[in-house]
Amino acid sequence: MKGMKNFFREYTVFIVCALLMVVPSITSQYVFYVFERGVQNAFLVIGLVILIGYSGMMTLGSAAHLAIGGYAYGIYCLLGLPPVLSAAIAVATATLLGTLLAFPAFKLSGPFLVVTTVGFGEITRILILNLQSLTGGAYGLSGYPVVSQAMQKYLYYGMVALLLLVILAVRRLGRSRIGLALKAVRQDQVAAEVMGVHIKRAKVAAYALSSLLAGLSGVFLANLTGYLSPDSFTGSESATYLLMTVMGGMSNPTGAAVSSVGITALPEVLRFLYSSRLMVYSLALLIYIRVKWGRKRRVALVKPSAQGAPKPKGGES
Amino acid sequence: MLKISDLYVGYTSVPVLNGISLEVPEGKIVTMLGANGAGKSTTLKAISGLMPAGFGSIRFGGAELAGRRPDEIVRMGIAHVPEGRLVFPGLTVSENIRIGSYLCKYSKAELKRNMEHQFALFPRLAERRGQLAGTMSGGEQQMLSIARALMSKPKLLMLDEPSLGLAPVIIDQIIDKITEINREGTTVLLIEQNAELALAISDWAYILSVGSVALSGPSSEIGRDRSILDAYLGG
Repeated sequence: MKGMKNFFREYTVFIVCALLMVVPSITSQYVFYVFERGVQNAFLVIGLVILIGYSGMMTLGSAAHLAIGGYAYGIYCLLGLPPVLSAAIAVATATLLGTLLAFPAFKLSGPFLVVTTVGFGEITRILILNLQSLTGGAYGLSGYPVVSQAMQKYLYYGMVALLLLVILAVRRLGRSRIGLALKAVRQDQVAAEVMGVHIKRAKVAAYALSSLLAGLSGVFLANLTGYLSPDSFTGSESATYLLMTVMGGMSNPTGAAVSSVGITALPEVLRFLYSSRLMVYSLALLIYIRVKWGRKRRVALVKPSAQGAPKPKGGES
Repeated sequence: MLKISDLYVGYTSVPVLNGISLEVPEGKIVTMLGANGAGKSTTLKAISGLMPAGFGSIRFGGAELAGRRPDEIVRMGIAHVPEGRLVFPGLTVSENIRIGSYLCKYSKAELKRNMEHQFALFPRLAERRGQLAGTMSGGEQQMLSIARALMSKPKLLMLDEPSLGLAPVIIDQIIDKITEINREGTTVLLIEQNAELALAISDWAYILSVGSVALSGPSSEIGRDRSILDAYLGG
């Protein structure tokens, strides 16, 4: 039984990617687009797995990283660079700018860091809104070259293949020495420092990796939509990405991919409900969070400590 | 091996260490005693680089430690078991121990052998290697904290109140382990509230009082005179 469970845990990622691979052949154009967006979001959310799940640095500004990747791609293209080169430089730009956010994270943690990331997100959005000559402002940015309609299918196959590699790499990272160091930083910075973990370097690495994936996601987004507007990068988008990370299991890249596709698709699935759509959407999420998915082992392990350190009576209800 | 001379350290403007000098010879157990706020923990933090040294020098085997980063100091062979154990509660016992060797790029076989060595030293941890560290008792967490520190094969092991909040039986076990570790060739710098116990196993003792060394000498001599202990440690 346990062997089967481990097998399942190891290989789910291949099953998920295989299922995603057959999507374009069996669905309508519209459903296919939803899946494309889901896979594109998965890259960003897996970046958040590294940042939030592994390293414990909460963020509510992830839409900004996405925006930087997308806009950078569009702007470089419009400046006359070839699309492939633009994509590469756009990912580099997003990584560089995103990594800057590691510097406030040296000193800040918890809610203070969250507020900083919210600020970063808002500043980015407002800059995009007001730098009209560069970004098109409220009109949005369009007219840059994108992958043609006929090639969309192949772009999607490429994205899923890359997603598989990213998931495997991030999972490996989580089990590696460096991943362990990131998890140590999340749990106790002083202890991690005493063990010889260079805290600042670890934080920079986490931000760099997560903004790299966000930038990549942004470039894909720009190609899928052909149009970018500051409205797609608001704080509530960031909250949705956080939700996807949490529902995927926080530090589980495969789960993150599944929840990204699922939550991207959910509002579309519920479209037949018209006005009560958002209510049912929220309800579905609440129910999901309340159900304890395979947590039995965890609960059994926590019990002995509860006996060791008695809590004040009636403290929990 | 370790020589601190005239060290000043302070939190912002308040000085904690007022010119401390002490020496830890190789292969010995040296203990630091003193009342709360005497500056024992601060001394350890200054040695391991968690707190910047103000003035003075900390020399370890001929190299200056003051102004170095904690990871450099770990690499030089000093391991710090911090006060309050500070294990990683959400990681398993094995993972906690593995993190101890973060800076030593062991091969897989070396890592395994070194981990088995810790499990041999602390059989209790071997039984619980897959358990989350946060779910263990205080004594087990203390053992884990020491095992984790030993993974970097330190020349000097610094222990900050390993008996804190533990049952007397467990304290005896921990103390036995410390002497065992020392016999295997690791130099130990020990902070203890339990003066009697610390003096019994150490070779040399320093008594700290408000940020400076009030008294030092062979542990056997210091232990003999109850009145000295009572005066500095408040009985």
